[in-house]
Amino acid sequence: MDSILSMLIFFPAMAAMLGFVIEKENLRTYGIAITAVEFVLSLALWASFDPNIAGYQFVQVVPLISQFGINYHVGIDGISLFLIILSTFMTMISLIGLGDMKSEKNLIVTVLFLEMTMVGVFASLDVILFYLFWELSLVPMLYIIGAWGGPKRIYAAIKFFLYTFAGSLVMLVGILYMAYLYHQATGVWSFSIPAWQELVVAFDVQLWLFAAFFIGFAIKVPMFPFHTWLPYAHGQAPTIGSVILAAVLLKMGTYGFVRFSLPMFPDAAVYFTTPIAILAIIMVIYTAMIAFAQKDMKQVIAYSSVSHMGIIVLGTFALNAEGIVGSIFLMISHGIVSGALFMLVGVIYDRRGTKMIADFGGLAHSMPRYATIFAIMLMASVGLPLTIGFVGEFLALIGFFKVSPFMTFLAGTGIILGAIYMLSMYKDSFFGVITNEKNRILSDVNKRELTALVPLIALVVILGIYPKPVLEPINNSVKLLISNMEKKSQNHETKRHLKNVNTIGEAK
Amino acid sequence: MEKYLLIALFAPIVGSLFAAIFGDRPKNVITGIVTSALLGISFLASFYLLTYVDETHIVKVELFTWILAGNFTIPFNFIADPVSVIMMVTVTTVSTAVHVYSMGYMANDKGYNRYFSYLSAFVFSMMILVMSNNFLGLFIGWEGVGLCSWLLIGHWYHKHSASWAANEAFIMNRVADLGMLVGLFILFWNIGSLEYDVVFENIGSLDNDTVTLAAIFLFVGAMGKSAQFPLHTWLADAMEGPTPVSALIHAATMVTAGVYLVIRANEIFALVPDVGFFIACLGAFVAMFAASMALVNNDLKRIIAYSTLSQLGYMFVAAGLGAYWIALFHLMTHAFFKSVLFLGAGNVMHAMDDELNIKKMGGLNSSMKYTGLIMILASLALSGIFPFAGFFSKDAILEVAFAEHAYILWAMLWVSAGLTAFYSFRLVMLVFFGKKEHKKFGFNPHETYTFVLLAMTPLAILAIVSGFFGGAFESYVTQILPHYDNHHHISGAAILIAMTLALAIGGIMFAVYKYSNGGFDKKLEQTFIYKLLINQYYIPEAYDRFLVQPFTRASTYAWLNIDNKIVDGTVDLIATTIYKTGDKTRAMQSGNLSKMLRWMVVGLVVLLTLALFYRP
Repeated sequence: MDSILSMLIFFPAMAAMLGFVIEKENLRTYGIAITAVEFVLSLALWASFDPNIAGYQFVQVVPLISQFGINYHVGIDGISLFLIILSTFMTMISLIGLGDMKSEKNLIVTVLFLEMTMVGVFASLDVILFYLFWELSLVPMLYIIGAWGGPKRIYAAIKFFLYTFAGSLVMLVGILYMAYLYHQATGVWSFSIPAWQELVVAFDVQLWLFAAFFIGFAIKVPMFPFHTWLPYAHGQAPTIGSVILAAVLLKMGTYGFVRFSLPMFPDAAVYFTTPIAILAIIMVIYTAMIAFAQKDMKQVIAYSSVSHMGIIVLGTFALNAEGIVGSIFLMISHGIVSGALFMLVGVIYDRRGTKMIADFGGLAHSMPRYATIFAIMLMASVGLPLTIGFVGEFLALIGFFKVSPFMTFLAGTGIILGAIYMLSMYKDSFFGVITNEKNRILSDVNKRELTALVPLIALVVILGIYPKPVLEPINNSVKLLISNMEKKSQNHETKRHLKNVNTIGEAK
Repeated sequence: MEKYLLIALFAPIVGSLFAAIFGDRPKNVITGIVTSALLGISFLASFYLLTYVDETHIVKVELFTWILAGNFTIPFNFIADPVSVIMMVTVTTVSTAVHVYSMGYMANDKGYNRYFSYLSAFVFSMMILVMSNNFLGLFIGWEGVGLCSWLLIGHWYHKHSASWAANEAFIMNRVADLGMLVGLFILFWNIGSLEYDVVFENIGSLDNDTVTLAAIFLFVGAMGKSAQFPLHTWLADAMEGPTPVSALIHAATMVTAGVYLVIRANEIFALVPDVGFFIACLGAFVAMFAASMALVNNDLKRIIAYSTLSQLGYMFVAAGLGAYWIALFHLMTHAFFKSVLFLGAGNVMHAMDDELNIKKMGGLNSSMKYTGLIMILASLALSGIFPFAGFFSKDAILEVAFAEHAYILWAMLWVSAGLTAFYSFRLVMLVFFGKKEHKKFGFNPHETYTFVLLAMTPLAILAIVSGFFGGAFESYVTQILPHYDNHHHISGAAILIAMTLALAIGGIMFAVYKYSNGGFDKKLEQTFIYKLLINQYYIPEAYDRFLVQPFTRASTYAWLNIDNKIVDGTVDLIATTIYKTGDKTRAMQSGNLSKMLRWMVVGLVVLLTLALFYRP
């Protein structure tokens, strides 16, 4: 089992290479089979994962450039485990639900490559390796948007690429400086994440490094005001691109916060809590309002993604176990729910060639099953208890409440605003009478779409009622993360803050 | 005993899922029968628990851990103690009757199976709400009933007004839910748990400000579900749903959830009597405010909806003043007489082809005697006439107000009692007696199915007799609720009772007299007061003008001007600046040798100057 992570990372890529020589007609089956095997592999990973160990497991180190301490170093803990499973699962689901596309073969090969980079990002324990996968993930996405997108696809693809790439470059500078610091402190070169997490960095340097990493992550999340690439990317991307983008790629940013920003720069994380929380609250409220103003179904969901990511950021910077566990769970649940919603928009777009809300109305008459599935996902999106969406949102909010009740209250308005934009969109497109005759003859969801959607519905309900198997490993790893932060922090203020936000009542 | 608790809880959801299987198929009577039967089973189990549970026999069930993270752990656990058992029995009694009734009422509806699936899901949520042994479980039920209410108000989703009302109800409840969540957050971070036992045990050790805040925010949650001012507008609009839904959800059960919350958390509210007094004041205000709107309305269902609001106000007065068992008692009697009143209204609507304007009815008593009788009895109960149920519970509330020296509140409730009697019998007179206005419109009223009437009968009987169980009820629920005995407080309670009764009878007589003699002068409709009341104090309009429209405009503005122009504009500006700089400086690389040599000289000079002045 030692190399299971490496298999997970490289299996889709190798399968993709092989995919080039397979006949066009069979590639869809091939792709689904590969992603299914990959998903089963990730489940095997979970099965052999020991939830009682909070640290890294399945660690594998192969030296690459030993002079500089750059290794092929992979391993996972409770935090990354489920993000990997989310990646493999959503890739499989998105391929199952894939509608008819031109040059389908190339698309599937691209998606398989993308899967490698996603798993790679979450499994890497070496910063250079992480950065490599992080940047590589842009390329397949660039193709997916640029080659299979809508009319403004080139603009959207380039914007997506350049914007996130620019952010990553700032992060790269931070990485190099951090490596330099490590060398200064220990005399050896290392890019190992666990080693970096041990390194004590002076407070004023922490602030700069935190900022450098923050820009890279914030653009990826995307946080306000760096979010404007997202509506274009979603607006132009084909369904499969949007599904993967929303479900997995955005989570890389918030994962970065948890993996890098918090453990490496704990004092800076505490120092920047308030400004980041303000940005997060703006994300929640402002983008929810913009979502309400949208006339295009897909844009509503795109902006709602940003709004939900705001809660994730907020929960992360609660710096207590409740908040961080909540935000990691919310990453997973938002991945499933937003992926499903984008897929649902794809269903109607395939039939009608439009996603404008005004073109619909009364869809519940002609497509009752579709309307039901959409309603379930809608309820998960607005965070109804016993759906997957509630658990993470609740924990993230309750976590931040200890930091600032007032800011939590402001962020909490997201649950109201979320209901407003989702319900009015639902009402305008599904309720009422059929006004456009084209909507009368629409066929309900077909078998292929159902196969993709039903597992998502099942997860929404099952993990909403019984999230414990997921929460427990995350909880253990997060507790370790917090105790490491507390150990490592230098400012008395930081220690006090961490202690305070993790204690019931007044901290002694 | 655990077995019965689980049966009572899960039987409805089994029915709901069964009906859901037939969701998109044409009507199948089986769904109605199965869901009703399962509801009946749930009722029997609840009733069995009622006979078993007392102070020393409290049934608790813990299923498994739901959420855990850091300090936070919450299981799914359920409790059957005297309070929740009373709620269970009330809920399942009304629900079973409404299910059977609906089989007749919805007989010709296209969404028959869907309807029963939602209705049973609602009962399940409501059972979770009242049976949960922790605040988060209560919140599950709280949101669950909200969802089912959304689905059922919007059952006829082809109607714009129905789907609009459904969304309004959901969103307005969400506003209140945020308040409730904040209340839960406060409790958690000060106590470390959301389980009832732990919270109530430790609440006394917190400082007063924290408890006050927690109580206020919990009550904000209650205000949404129980449609208290200013979150009341959704309830009247919710009448767009099918009438049995109005009877069950928007009269008997869901809207009383807020009252239940205050009763359940009485150990919190008892610590902060100021908050309690505020609740009582708001309750008294709503009692009068809603009753005043019911006076002039001509919509059959809206009148009853306002009356529900008003009665919820009564319950909050009792709960706010610390008479929790009396609040619960009125909650129960109200559930019986109000649901049967609504069901009667449903019969009338059926007879009148869904006509709601009571001015177009009249004289229906001749064609639907039994419905008329039931509605008159229910109206008598609502008006608080001896010996009907409402008399006992409502009178107790008035006595509480008096005993607590809250004379202004008492006076408001007293006046409202008179208004209640008047508008109830205005409705009865206009619908069942007087001139047959409906003849003009070509209606052909007829009595409904017998089994529908039979389904209503138990509720009608309870509306008549349940008041007599007051003593037994008191000794049962005060095993865990605080005692409240107002007879010791005041002398001359008999005078108070007589005063209230006299006013109620006066109200009825006045309505009967006025409407047997042709009603009021049309000119009254021109007065300011009338316009204020018929427009619901212009509150819905104000919400639209000052909340909905500005929000829509602000959203559009934020999108088009801020997001597209400023935020994205800046990004594009940076990009185009870089692009243009490159475009302009491209001229340097023209390939023209003499030009490039010239640039080389420039570069050389720059470098030499740098070398001259820059000394690291």
